[in-house]
Amino acid sequence: MSAPAIRIEHLVKRYVDPQNGGAFVAVDGISLRVEEGEFFGLLGPNGAGKTTTINAIVGLAKITSGSIALFGHDVEHDWRAARATVGLAPQEYNFDRYLNIRDILIFQAGYYGLRGKPVRQRADDLLERFGLTSKARQPYTRLSGGMKRRLTLARALMHEPRLLILDEPTAGVDVELRIELWQFLRDLKAAGTTIVLTTHYLEEAEALCDRLAIIESGRVVALDRTNALIGDRTLQDVFLELTRR
Amino acid sequence: MNVVGLETIVKREVVRSFSIINQVVWPPVITTLLYLFVFGVGLGSQIKTIDGVSYATFLIPGLIMLQVIDQTYGESSSSFFQGRFMNSIQELLIAPLSAVEMVGGFVIAGLLRAFFIAILITVLGFLFVRSLPGNWGLYLLVLFLVAVLFSALGIIFGLLAEKFDHIATLTTFVITPLVFVGGTFTSNAFLPPLLRRIAQFNPMFHMIDAFRYAYAGHGDAPLGPSLLIVGTLAAAALAVALRMTASGYKLRV
Repeated sequence: MSAPAIRIEHLVKRYVDPQNGGAFVAVDGISLRVEEGEFFGLLGPNGAGKTTTINAIVGLAKITSGSIALFGHDVEHDWRAARATVGLAPQEYNFDRYLNIRDILIFQAGYYGLRGKPVRQRADDLLERFGLTSKARQPYTRLSGGMKRRLTLARALMHEPRLLILDEPTAGVDVELRIELWQFLRDLKAAGTTIVLTTHYLEEAEALCDRLAIIESGRVVALDRTNALIGDRTLQDVFLELTRR
Repeated sequence: MNVVGLETIVKREVVRSFSIINQVVWPPVITTLLYLFVFGVGLGSQIKTIDGVSYATFLIPGLIMLQVIDQTYGESSSSFFQGRFMNSIQELLIAPLSAVEMVGGFVIAGLLRAFFIAILITVLGFLFVRSLPGNWGLYLLVLFLVAVLFSALGIIFGLLAEKFDHIATLTTFVITPLVFVGGTFTSNAFLPPLLRRIAQFNPMFHMIDAFRYAYAGHGDAPLGPSLLIVGTLAAAALAVALRMTASGYKLRV
């Protein structure tokens, strides 16, 4: 049996305030598995620990205790192999302001050790797929919000990751683009990519995810298949019941 | 080793340098020409020779060091800090890149910028005062050590800084004063004995003096110890930059 796409065991992330030495526990002993090829949703209110968990997975946050492995590669001890498997589409636009849009994609592949004609071809294909070809030579600052969101996704896909992590991928985009992105993500999953999604749009999670985890105050308070979790209620009812503080 | 990743960082830094060409090329050229005109032609006409060379020729190595130090520190500190500030450095942090590859990329980019600036001013020196280095090997060695030192210092301060002001602090209060009193414009031999002894503790003096050897074939201090001091500082700064990056200081929360 192959290793799960993500295996998180007893993950704790504690932030220490350098001013007063006080500690804040953002993630408090999360354990979960995401199987390869799965579309997995990570839900929770603001400050629940979703983004911290994602940051620990991709290496942006140091793990206080516990462990995370991606496709069997520990993110701390076997970090190079682990990072090669994952693509992140973050919530914030953190593009390189000195590069044009096409180069943002090509340089991203370079950081993953890829170069040459296949990389340039993949960049052009992704620009085409996301309707950005006419903007290829422009800086990202000239793009609309929806286009920046598409560029975030294209960049995350440049090195053809086996695991794609999307942190609020449709925040601030119009309905038309949201539906277009949903279809793209469904196609990606059908092609075998494992997808982890965080979103505040519960209908998005319900429409796309095979399984859902609901996080509250750094702990997993529910983890099940989407249909089983909702039952005969709505996801909103379930979510509010589990996350009421 | 992710060689392509390292090369990509270097390439990215070169693209960045050329996209801000008004900060990279013209300031060193114009500043050097002004210094040559004001000090070399104006003041220099009152000074026959220093250590056996014309004052204008004496100035050139110091002016190259002045610009190389300023540009290499500015390159890596502002690029690193800006990456942190805009979060674009996360592109590197989530990629399979080690601290050696990241720091190596920024330092190599700093070296390229240093050599570019140095060649530019060397050409100006040749065109205006017919001055060229006599020892190209030493010229390249000192440039290399100084560029590594200030690229690494740039990374360190790019990590320490909380705002752009902090980056300028080192330039304003440490680098510029030490370079100016480190023999850029005058020979150490002009100083009173006490100040001459104090100057020995100024690392910039050793950089400029060692570089001047490449031009004049002699300097105010013995070459070997000066090279050792600059080399040790470069290695120490590189080690600190690597340690800070590897530990994720202000990069990985």
